[in-house]
Amino acid sequence: MPQYSLYEEEFHPSPWQRTWRAFRASHIAVAGAVLLCVFVVFALFAPLLTPYGANEQNIDGLLVPPSWMGNGSISHLFGTDSLGRDLFTRVIYGCRVTLGSAFITVVLAMLVGVSLGAFAGMLRGVRSSIANHLPDALMAIPTLLIAIIIVAIFGTGLVNSMWAITLALIPQFVHHTRSLVRTEMKKDYIVSSKLDGANKWQLFTYSILPNMTEMLVVQGTIALSIAVIDISALGFLNLGAQSPLPELGAILSDGLDVTYLAPWNVALPGMAIFFLVLSINVVGDGLRSALRKRVNH
Amino acid sequence: MIRILARYSILFVLTLLVLAIMSFSLAYLFPGDVLENLTGIVPANDAQRQALERQFRLDQPYFVQFFFYLKNLFAGDWGYSFTSGIALRDEIGIAMPATIELATYSMMIALFIGIPLGYYAGMRCYSTSDYIINTSSITTYSFPVFWLALLLILVFSLQLDKAPLSGRISLLFDVEPVSGFILIDILLSDMQNKSLAFKDALSHLTLPTIAIGAVSTASMVRITRRSVIDARHQPYIAAAVSRGLSGWQIFFRHILRNALLPILPLMAIQITTLITNTMIVETLFSWPGIGNWLIQAIYQRDYPALRVGMLAVSTLVITLTITVDMFNRLIDPSREKYEHAAI
Repeated sequence: MPQYSLYEEEFHPSPWQRTWRAFRASHIAVAGAVLLCVFVVFALFAPLLTPYGANEQNIDGLLVPPSWMGNGSISHLFGTDSLGRDLFTRVIYGCRVTLGSAFITVVLAMLVGVSLGAFAGMLRGVRSSIANHLPDALMAIPTLLIAIIIVAIFGTGLVNSMWAITLALIPQFVHHTRSLVRTEMKKDYIVSSKLDGANKWQLFTYSILPNMTEMLVVQGTIALSIAVIDISALGFLNLGAQSPLPELGAILSDGLDVTYLAPWNVALPGMAIFFLVLSINVVGDGLRSALRKRVNH
Repeated sequence: MIRILARYSILFVLTLLVLAIMSFSLAYLFPGDVLENLTGIVPANDAQRQALERQFRLDQPYFVQFFFYLKNLFAGDWGYSFTSGIALRDEIGIAMPATIELATYSMMIALFIGIPLGYYAGMRCYSTSDYIINTSSITTYSFPVFWLALLLILVFSLQLDKAPLSGRISLLFDVEPVSGFILIDILLSDMQNKSLAFKDALSHLTLPTIAIGAVSTASMVRITRRSVIDARHQPYIAAAVSRGLSGWQIFFRHILRNALLPILPLMAIQITTLITNTMIVETLFSWPGIGNWLIQAIYQRDYPALRVGMLAVSTLVITLTITVDMFNRLIDPSREKYEHAAI
């Protein structure tokens, strides 16, 4: 019986700490996380960071080029659009609208999808078969189609496009929750809880849900990047956010009218969407490989 | 095998039935008159309206109406467009093959470039070439497809003037639509300057195909790479190594086939993304496909067109998805129903 511990301190990092360590080891993932944080700061503090209002027009400065071009001025960092609105301000507000609405969409889809998926995973027999196959079949309907139908029934608008994307995202969460619940239900620790007399609700909340958080985080990042692309695509097609609202896709489609005169009106909002999606994807990828490393060791 | 086939046929029929019910109920959900939404015919007077209502069984219960609607669907009587007045079946018959053609070529690019690249990256995982392939695939994957298409138009059509801006083929060529696929139609036709027309159609195809194909290729690379890495860590690979098989033997006999299995169900999911991307890119290139047609229909609030277009596109996607899923189940019976791999 040793009187002292061999090591100075016995410290077992928690699962999340181990994930964070594995995540930190990848430089690309950390760079992506920093970029994503910048976008989140943009989204949260847009009114503090921007020099102008989102719809403030400057009649004397129509189509001013960005500041790094020859005849640009520093008072408009990214230049202005055809109505003299400051593009930098609009892009930052655009990040706020696009990222914010995408986030709400994903959270809603996750709540509905996880509850439906948990139900489907615990069912047996014919009911389970129906609950399994229907979402899979619905998953096959393209987002754009759902959006078109919703727009036709309720009219255009950001909120309606958010409903459409929520509907399109739900089946994925149902699918992943269901297959996870089904595999977990076969494991021994669930059987032991069952023998202790836990009912299905207790099984789900105490045993399965804690094991599901990681899958949810990873699926959430995938869904977030899909939601950002879809919301901006619908805004671009004039089916989602309508013109004065600074949504990145809508800003891009506004800029399309003056592509020849002012190509930065197309390039900069597009780059904002691209970097936003890229940072989400890089963070998601980093998280996934960090979790995989943790599970494998 | 027969059980699997029966299962999937039942699933297919039930899904189509649900879709048909949804499409029928859209006539009631859309704003405006039910009769006009259902048929696309605007009656001139009350007498004609009553005659039409009787003809389409609108005075009878919903159940009878729905069965009449189904009968009409099967008979090919899909109603008329508000805007053009042409039978919707004819319009979709022209638009749908154009979309399928574009999507097929993009999928080909994804398969013939994406899968080999993914195998290469997976076999050399965590090396420099793997990092380069993986990074570029994540970057390409993050491009919003409409912006990528815009950039291609800006660079290749407007700046360099290398590719045409819009459409399927130059108006100089008059191609008789037989199969609906422009390249096949040109080969089938007996026009004088076939090779010129073929070249022209190809140059129209290039940019949209690249725009759609790039995103599909990127996700295909990621899927394949992950699947190859997973296959390489299986115990049977270690067993093969210990038996003394060479690297090439292990690759061809064990990794190549086993890595392909998880890719197939993910391809089924890819089809949906592919069709969505095709529909978006079509609007940018004015490609006369179903996506462009549907978006024009929503701009003009052409409800009969939306109702049938929705049914047509979702039937296409679901047919493809269920076929791929069934195929996957047939070649891999050990797989539990509907289990998908991770990227």
